[in-house]
Amino acid sequence: MTAVMTESAQSSPQSPRRSTRRLPLALRVLRSPRLARVLFLPAVLIFWLISNKLIADSWGFDSSVLATPIEVWDFMYAEVTGDTVAPANLYQTFGISLRRLGLGFVISMTVGTTLGIGMGLSKAVNAFFHDWVMALLAMPALAWALFLSLILGFGDKGPVWAVVLAGIPFVIVNVREGVRSTPRDLFDMSTAFGVSPLKRIRHVLLPSLFPFLFAAARYALSIGWKGLVIIELFGGQDGAGWTFKFWYDAHRLHGVIGYSMFFVIFALVLENVVLEPISRRVFKWRPSLNQPDIVEEDMDVVKYPALADESLSDRDTIIQEKN
Amino acid sequence: MADIKISNLHKEFGVGDDKVVALENVNLEISGHVFVSIVGPSGCGKSTLLNILSGIETPTSGSLTITQAGAQAAPGYVFQAARLLPWRTVMDNLLFVQADKSSETRARCQKYLDMVQLGDMINIIRTSCQVVCSSASDWRARWRPMLIFMDEPFSHLDAITARSLRRELHSMWAATKKTIVFVTHDVGEAVELSNRILVFAQGGILKDDINVELDFPRDPSDEAVAVAKANVLKKFEELDLLAT
Repeated sequence: MTAVMTESAQSSPQSPRRSTRRLPLALRVLRSPRLARVLFLPAVLIFWLISNKLIADSWGFDSSVLATPIEVWDFMYAEVTGDTVAPANLYQTFGISLRRLGLGFVISMTVGTTLGIGMGLSKAVNAFFHDWVMALLAMPALAWALFLSLILGFGDKGPVWAVVLAGIPFVIVNVREGVRSTPRDLFDMSTAFGVSPLKRIRHVLLPSLFPFLFAAARYALSIGWKGLVIIELFGGQDGAGWTFKFWYDAHRLHGVIGYSMFFVIFALVLENVVLEPISRRVFKWRPSLNQPDIVEEDMDVVKYPALADESLSDRDTIIQEKN
Repeated sequence: MADIKISNLHKEFGVGDDKVVALENVNLEISGHVFVSIVGPSGCGKSTLLNILSGIETPTSGSLTITQAGAQAAPGYVFQAARLLPWRTVMDNLLFVQADKSSETRARCQKYLDMVQLGDMINIIRTSCQVVCSSASDWRARWRPMLIFMDEPFSHLDAITARSLRRELHSMWAATKKTIVFVTHDVGEAVELSNRILVFAQGGILKDDINVELDFPRDPSDEAVAVAKANVLKKFEELDLLAT
């Protein structure tokens, strides 16, 4: 009985690979997620061209008002090389907006973290701010855009405030939940072993807050960016949102689409070049998401007889990796 | 060896209608090289007592002194489940509770890690390591706590692992002059390990204080141990502590 179980368990890790090998090459390529990801772009382009044609045919107007993928590409290429008819080129425009975003982000993180910690620690502080944080969460970015440009004018102040007001409620709520969910048992352990309060804050509270601070930063950046573009569009003289509207006013669809693409590229770069590497560094201790979660089953030796046959040191590695 | 003196210790949680009495006027003295087990049903205040002894909780009233050779003792604590900082390595977890991070301390931590072979008992072992290399501002005087609190440390282990760890714990206790206060809900475990058993009942009342006079090591399959266990269980019945 034992022998049969061991044998089946040892062969089982290989069986899925073997079944893939039996499929014909063409079918395997078609089923691969990587190909599906690559295929998305041509699919969009084809859909774009077909709908251009259908719209122009059914409304019967000059199809040159509609932008083709080539026109958008040419526009984006010209912008990237600094050749533009807009008052400021791509780099100046994004420079202005990034400065506003950065300043607003720093303010919303600093003030939001302070308020969040206060609200997480004290019921009275929480009661004082709670309704107003909820009100901020419910406020649409458009309302801030109109309100702030009316009272602060068309300079830098309005956009910076828009970033702060859009992002800060998310920072407050995240940090507050983080403080509330700090591991009590770890604090008790530190107390029982006589660890100093300062060391407890530095090594227990802060690391347990990091995931929440990180989520807060992501929200503050993405929601802040949306708020910024809207206020620049409605009440600005420059910046990414304003330039977007410049192309809209000039009735240049390729400019509108091209600028939206720049927004998308900006978001992707921010995520993959800035946020993701930092998050990987800070959360190195966490088990990665695609790693199989085997520590529980590891105890259940009968279910995984192959594991039971391994030497003790091998199992150690598995558990240490998990931790 | 340490001396614990508890007089009229009272602990309540909550206020008004939510008030719960966790410990009611407990008077107790524990001193010398003893292994004391605290048994009782869930919610009888066993863990609360350990938390008060270790300084995690403060009593509502009453007094408590823990001394070791005339000075304030620095006890170690084995929690029921592992209490580790997941963002630190095993070694850094051990060093976290150390006041001094010298190479001597590191070597000592390494020694105990080697001793317990981090295997399938990883959770409990890591925690007990924290105890053995426990905190100390003056490590020379108390680098290994002479007083250890243990809160159901074997309750989540399988019977065989728990049995071998109980043996190890006993031989460690016998080889040193430690005072151990051990909370458990397993009467058999208490009889096997301790020379004194304190019986607590619901409401945090200390019902009985039993001395177990049997030679160590005590094998659970040994007749004398089985009889002793039956006697303790009989006391439980007399005190009406067993659910019928």
